[in-house]
Amino acid sequence: MSPPENPSPAAPAEPSQPPPPAAAATGKGKKKDEKKDDDLSEEDLALKEQLELYVVRAQDADPGVQKLALESMRQEIRSATSSMTSVPKPLKFLRPHFGTLKSYFETMPESELKKYMADILSVLALTMSIEGERESLKYRLLGSEGDIGSWGHEYVRNLAGEIAQEFQKRQDDDLPIDALMELVQQIISFHMKHNAEPEAVDLLMEVEDLDLLVEHVDATNYKRACLYLCSSSKCRTQDDSLALDIAYTIYLKFGDLASALRIALKLEKSLQYVKQVYTATDDLLLKKQFSYLIARHGLVMEIDDEIAADDNDKEVLQEIVNNTKLSEGYSTLARDIEVMEPKSPEDIYKVHLIDGRGASSSLDSARQNLAATFVNAFVNAGFGQDKLMTAPSDSSSSGSSGNWLFKNKEHGKASAAASLGMILLWDTDSGLAQIDKYLHSNDTHVVAGALLGIGIVTCGVKSDCDPAFAILMEYIGKDDSNIRIGAILGLGIAYAGSQKEELKMHLSAVLGDSQSPLEVLVFSAIALGLVFVGSCNEEIAQSIIFALMERSEAELAEPIIRLLPVALGLLYLGKQDSVEATAEVSKTFDEKIGKYCDVTLMSLAYAGTGNVLKVQKLLGICSQHLEKGETHQGPAVLGIALIAMAEELGAEMAVRSLERLLQYGEQNIRRAVPLALGILCISNPKVNVMDTLSRLSHDADADVSMAAIISLGLIGAGTNNARIAGMLRNLSSYYYKEAAHLFCVRIAQGLVHLGKGLLTLSPYHSDRFLLSPMALGGLVTVLHACLDMKSTILGKYHYILYIIVLAMQPRMLLTVDEDLKPLSVPVRVGQAVDVVGQAGRPKTITGFQTHSTPVLLAAGERAELATEKYIPLTPVLEGFVILKKNPEYHEE
Amino acid sequence: MPTGELLSPLLLLLLLSRPGLSISSAAVLISSPTSPPVLGRIGVSVKWQKEVFPGIEIDTSQPPIVFKSQLYTLTGVPPERQKIMVKGGILKDDADWSTLGVKDGQKLMMIGTADEIVKAPEKGPVFVEDLPEEEQVVALGHSAGLYNLGNTCYMNSTLQCLHSVPELKSALLSYPDTVRGNGIDQASHNLTLATRNTFGDLDQSVRPVAPLQFLQTLRKKYPQFAQQHNNVYMQQDAEECWTQLVYTLSQTLTSDSSESAVLPMKQLFGIDLVSRVHCAESGEESTETESVYSLKCHISQDVNHLHEGIKHGLKTELEKASPTLGRTAVYTRESRINELPRYLTVQFVRFFWKRESNQKAKILRKVDYPLELDVYEFCSDELKQKLQAPRQMLRDAENAKFGLKAHGKASSSKENEESSSSAGESSSMDIDKAESYLPKKQLTGVYDLVAVLTHKGRSADSGHYVGWVKQDDGKWIEFDDDNPNIRKEEDILKLSGGGDWHMAYICLYKARMAESKS
Repeated sequence: MSPPENPSPAAPAEPSQPPPPAAAATGKGKKKDEKKDDDLSEEDLALKEQLELYVVRAQDADPGVQKLALESMRQEIRSATSSMTSVPKPLKFLRPHFGTLKSYFETMPESELKKYMADILSVLALTMSIEGERESLKYRLLGSEGDIGSWGHEYVRNLAGEIAQEFQKRQDDDLPIDALMELVQQIISFHMKHNAEPEAVDLLMEVEDLDLLVEHVDATNYKRACLYLCSSSKCRTQDDSLALDIAYTIYLKFGDLASALRIALKLEKSLQYVKQVYTATDDLLLKKQFSYLIARHGLVMEIDDEIAADDNDKEVLQEIVNNTKLSEGYSTLARDIEVMEPKSPEDIYKVHLIDGRGASSSLDSARQNLAATFVNAFVNAGFGQDKLMTAPSDSSSSGSSGNWLFKNKEHGKASAAASLGMILLWDTDSGLAQIDKYLHSNDTHVVAGALLGIGIVTCGVKSDCDPAFAILMEYIGKDDSNIRIGAILGLGIAYAGSQKEELKMHLSAVLGDSQSPLEVLVFSAIALGLVFVGSCNEEIAQSIIFALMERSEAELAEPIIRLLPVALGLLYLGKQDSVEATAEVSKTFDEKIGKYCDVTLMSLAYAGTGNVLKVQKLLGICSQHLEKGETHQGPAVLGIALIAMAEELGAEMAVRSLERLLQYGEQNIRRAVPLALGILCISNPKVNVMDTLSRLSHDADADVSMAAIISLGLIGAGTNNARIAGMLRNLSSYYYKEAAHLFCVRIAQGLVHLGKGLLTLSPYHSDRFLLSPMALGGLVTVLHACLDMKSTILGKYHYILYIIVLAMQPRMLLTVDEDLKPLSVPVRVGQAVDVVGQAGRPKTITGFQTHSTPVLLAAGERAELATEKYIPLTPVLEGFVILKKNPEYHEE
Repeated sequence: MPTGELLSPLLLLLLLSRPGLSISSAAVLISSPTSPPVLGRIGVSVKWQKEVFPGIEIDTSQPPIVFKSQLYTLTGVPPERQKIMVKGGILKDDADWSTLGVKDGQKLMMIGTADEIVKAPEKGPVFVEDLPEEEQVVALGHSAGLYNLGNTCYMNSTLQCLHSVPELKSALLSYPDTVRGNGIDQASHNLTLATRNTFGDLDQSVRPVAPLQFLQTLRKKYPQFAQQHNNVYMQQDAEECWTQLVYTLSQTLTSDSSESAVLPMKQLFGIDLVSRVHCAESGEESTETESVYSLKCHISQDVNHLHEGIKHGLKTELEKASPTLGRTAVYTRESRINELPRYLTVQFVRFFWKRESNQKAKILRKVDYPLELDVYEFCSDELKQKLQAPRQMLRDAENAKFGLKAHGKASSSKENEESSSSAGESSSMDIDKAESYLPKKQLTGVYDLVAVLTHKGRSADSGHYVGWVKQDDGKWIEFDDDNPNIRKEEDILKLSGGGDWHMAYICLYKARMAESKS
């Protein structure tokens, strides 16, 4: 991605010295190099003398002789072969004469011959010109403008490098660049023809004219060019969308619509691009595949007549986009892997493996039961059955599910009722029915939990009837604040990312109501933030800002208040500069919250962008020593992780920076570091991070150790990682007396076994290319709440943990046939290999195993079909993939 | 799906039985659902859970409650619990169809269940967090630890071991606040009170207890425990503390005999020994009786097991003036147990005074001790006689309990272990509630290990003392000052010495009682 460097002159030639007379030079050189010449082979000596003769002849007065000499010289240079380590012989022998020829060139009259001469000088400058002079380019522009490739690849690369510099200079000096662009055209076409797409793209980026690329790509190289464009877009700190835009255009041009769609989803104003992709094809099957990708990404879209004219088609597509089939697909996966059998929390704790400990008393501990509720919900998420909440209700009418519900205390009952939503996740049909009966309870906590549960069930699944909206809206105006929170948070989860206008009106009203209790207010803000995540909606931003400004001193001291800035930040999630106006306003806030808000806004606005400058800025904030007990360094640490998580390299650097913070940072920084590590490697248990967290989980500071424990759960989320599971078991016996720690250990255990290992929390999907804003929003909210665990998840707001549902997705590859019925085919699953910028068709996976679908994909894994019988409709095999029969396939 | 016609009679019945519904509305329902839509009638399909009911007609002139009762017959969900999704929310009973914009052929969604509404159980569960602190102890499974107040681990471990004796606790509970009787000095009285209070604190607290009062009174009563070195209180010998404390308690607690339920210390811990002193030279022989509070396990070259050590300890040689010989002669003194206590204390004589280094040195030799100790062989013939019957009863009871196993195989030792320990538990549990039936319970000479006091380090006045106490549920707790840890039975047997690990110094065994069958 760096501009090609000028090849440094192989020998310390000094062309700037006044050129000695040619004859003298040759004579002198002969004497001096007599010994050296002896080393040369006969052949070389002859070549050398030949070339020297050409040089003399080139300065002959007779144009005929001149021309012949130049032609011959040119012939020699072109025919010479070179290797990596040596300069081609003709160039080497001509080096002493570069100065001579240059000075002679100046004296030449304008003519064909002069151009000829310029060509040769341009080539010679390749090794002789001192850096920064750009003589190669200079003579090239004066030359005959012949075929650029005829001088070899190295010459073109060098020229490209010089063009980049020259372009910069001309831009600064406001000089015309037409001639340069002409050359660029030639170079690009050369590069594109010779498997050097990265160089072509680099040059175009340097001369800021990526559009040119579109003309030059062809069917053979567009994939590599686009791949390079996309991955280079991650490394740019500004207008990264430009490269993507071009890639999108190219994909469209070559009819690779599925790839175009992936880019469309990454771009801002996705909807418009997405529609364009849809309308570019008439293939209904392909459209279905698009819909699957859109559903996975969580984009809320209405299939209109433009996309599908036929009503039936429209309905089918809409159904896919609405994620209605997710639950079904997930069950297919679960049945195939044979994990339908519900698991109880005890199956997860595995107390029998712990030495001595586990003296469970006969009495119920409300906190431990609450932990069991969460573990049960996480582990059985989406399976529709468990051993605590759903199981016995079928057998006996009294239903011991009620019993478990009432084994929880007060707020715990809310979480218990809501856990039903988690268990029945995505299955709106039977889910809503099962939760419905809890709505008639006379216990407000149960009702609140049921409302939240309705939100959770419908998370990511849309329906034309909008049942969640209809039911939950009935409750947001109730008197009891628990019920209100349940309904509001439920709406936030159910409609995250939908930007539903009705919600803006209703929730803003709650926010603006001065009578609303603080907690209701905060959760309304969070719900708004989630529903309008990344929308940059000014109106909502205004109302949250007003809500923040109107808080009294005392209210600002409440720990829950920290979620208000988060809600504000969610509106600008990943939207970079758009946050600036709001950030300005936030500076005027009360100092207690102002700094916090500012840092939070910045970290969220640049989340998932990999912007190095912002990471540096946040690291700067972390290096300050605070005297007044401010808390904004916590979000800053989280921010580093959120921004750096965008790409692998940045993430690794961030891990190292965080280690540093751990050693030198102050306590409030250290507390946030484990969480930051947790989000960096979410659902991706890297051994080094695991070790760091394991060490921190025994830290003397309770907040650090609790955060580390939760983070162990986060990095292992949905992986069933045996090592983390073992660590957590040991921690459960180590902390068996510390109720708070034990609670965290249990939650982490639940997370590790999330969906019995079928789910992931990673907000990235589609080959780690796309970032689902809803997922990230959910994670950020939970993490910010975890910055002060004592007053949030260890207090009465433990149901915040359910917001994590937004990030929960099956980590599966489910292949379906043309009728969308599951179809089992062999696939190779292996570690993904980065093939960006590599020539040819390199292997994209390594160390693979062959399975038959449906299969699980771990972090960093990629799948490819192991059969020729079918053709996948999308290049990235993740989630639902439609397979089409390969017409060219013949059974053997 | 049943058709409308099939349903109609049932429907009508149901509707008629519902008050507030007119026949006319029922009549609407009877009309065939397949008839083409007339003005005022809309055919919709309703989705309920996973089922879809197609072709349901709505009479827009009737209030929605009619529609709901239609659904009631189909799904069994009472109308008041039906939630039907229409534009802008849930269908209200008094809504006007014309404003709702329901179109012909539209798909409606109904949510609701006929399931019973969950009710809170009448008696909610009791949560540990709600209990007062003293009850949380029960839930925790063991009592609290004791803070180390500066080299007081010898005292903490002693207290923890003695605290494991429920009978002692109940005896202390009935101890009055004021001095009674005579012969008891104020210091002893205070120490007894302090013991009582400390035990009380231990039982009631979940947090570690600081035994300040106890330490002060202990030092007042026995000033040797207040020895200081470089202005720091020194480490002391736990055995000395144990002995002194038991001695003091035996003084104070036995003095009052009015309360019969209280077992005097003598009965709890006292061991009556009858010794035959015999002089080989002169042939003199005499018998002496004495009462001690612990058996000594002497450790010499050839002692590898507790049994051997006790045997060794019961047989001593002493020099004394022989009246017949007129000079000092070597007498052997062989002791036999004449009366057994409820709790047998065995002390490992691990320390001896080393002249050259001027300190109590420690014997690190490994001496194994059993979880179940039978002292029958150390008993006097008279006592053996008495023990015969109860021992038989105990054997019978155990055989009856595990009869099949014992007969079936050549009973593996492990099974025996299990059977004996569980039998021990059951009897120990019985003791608490059935103290008044004491006569029915008889000593058998079989004892179960209930507490171990260990020492780690090279001399008695240094190193670290820890108490290991068996709980009712068979688990062991290591009371390392303020830090109780759960241990397993195997860990306890590892404390037999032979290295630098904790090694048993005092073992407390509890009698296994035989219950007469009457």
